[in-house]
Amino acid sequence: MGLRAWRIAVLVAVGVAAGLVWNGLSGRGFALSGNVFVRPGDEVIEAAEAKARLDKGALFLDARPVDFYKMSHIPGALALSEDDFERAFARLEPALRARFDLVVYCSGYGCEASHIVAGKLKQRGIQAAILNEGWPAWTDAGYPTRAGEQP
Amino acid sequence: MSFLRHPALHWALGLVLGGVFLYASYDKILHPAEFAKIVYHYQVIGPSQTLPPLVPNLVAVTLPWIEVVIGACLVAGLWRREAAALSAALLLVFLVAVSSALVRGIDIQNCGCFSVTAEGRRAGLQLILGDLALLAGALILTLGPRSAAALAPARAENVQEPA
Repeated sequence: MGLRAWRIAVLVAVGVAAGLVWNGLSGRGFALSGNVFVRPGDEVIEAAEAKARLDKGALFLDARPVDFYKMSHIPGALALSEDDFERAFARLEPALRARFDLVVYCSGYGCEASHIVAGKLKQRGIQAAILNEGWPAWTDAGYPTRAGEQP
Repeated sequence: MSFLRHPALHWALGLVLGGVFLYASYDKILHPAEFAKIVYHYQVIGPSQTLPPLVPNLVAVTLPWIEVVIGACLVAGLWRREAAALSAALLLVFLVAVSSALVRGIDIQNCGCFSVTAEGRRAGLQLILGDLALLAGALILTLGPRSAAALAPARAENVQEPA
């Protein structure tokens, strides 16, 4: 069929070059080295730091859908799912306003829920750290979990 | 199956497939960070413990422009077979990404095919069928003759046109 491979390479190279130039110069681009879920001012902590905070009594917030929370969650965590934020927040607000050691997590790498929930809390004047890589980072480290409904 | 090599079919396929690729690139180019989030959702090329955010970010930034180049070539009929081959490769990659997300039970609410900001299409069976249809078109173009213009002189030498 005689396809010319160099032409395909040229098409790809032109596209890549245009994309990089656009990202750098258009004003619509973003920093390529960072995670786009993370917004300026976000406090992102690793699993070990989160465990240390749990041991000091920090309150965890589970941003995943409630069914996941019921199956398993970080000990003491409250369900504050992104899907049902307004309702859950209305119930938890007094408890959250009294705390300065909140940590939000969700289901991991491809998951934005913890960032969205932390953003909504921030809009309401409540500061919360985000557990980097969320649930899988916690369980991979072998840290404790609990099952069951919210107390 | 000789109609598969008909120049008019290739011209029409080039317009349709090229148009789809151009349309697909538009919203992603305007909102690269939103598209990057969708690439993350697939959890195929990271970010993960082994893959830094740089990998999916580079894909999010460059893929829409590769789609532009492919779309422009297909519509203009320039390097049509090579552009079609590259589009087929991309469609295959999309097919693998969507299927792997479905198999792993990852709910991709917006597939990132066309719109990255408004309610996009959910990744599902319908999407896979649409992708396969485009892939068929891309393969017909790839396997077809180099171009109508390139074939014309050869025909004139070998075949006597009836008066």
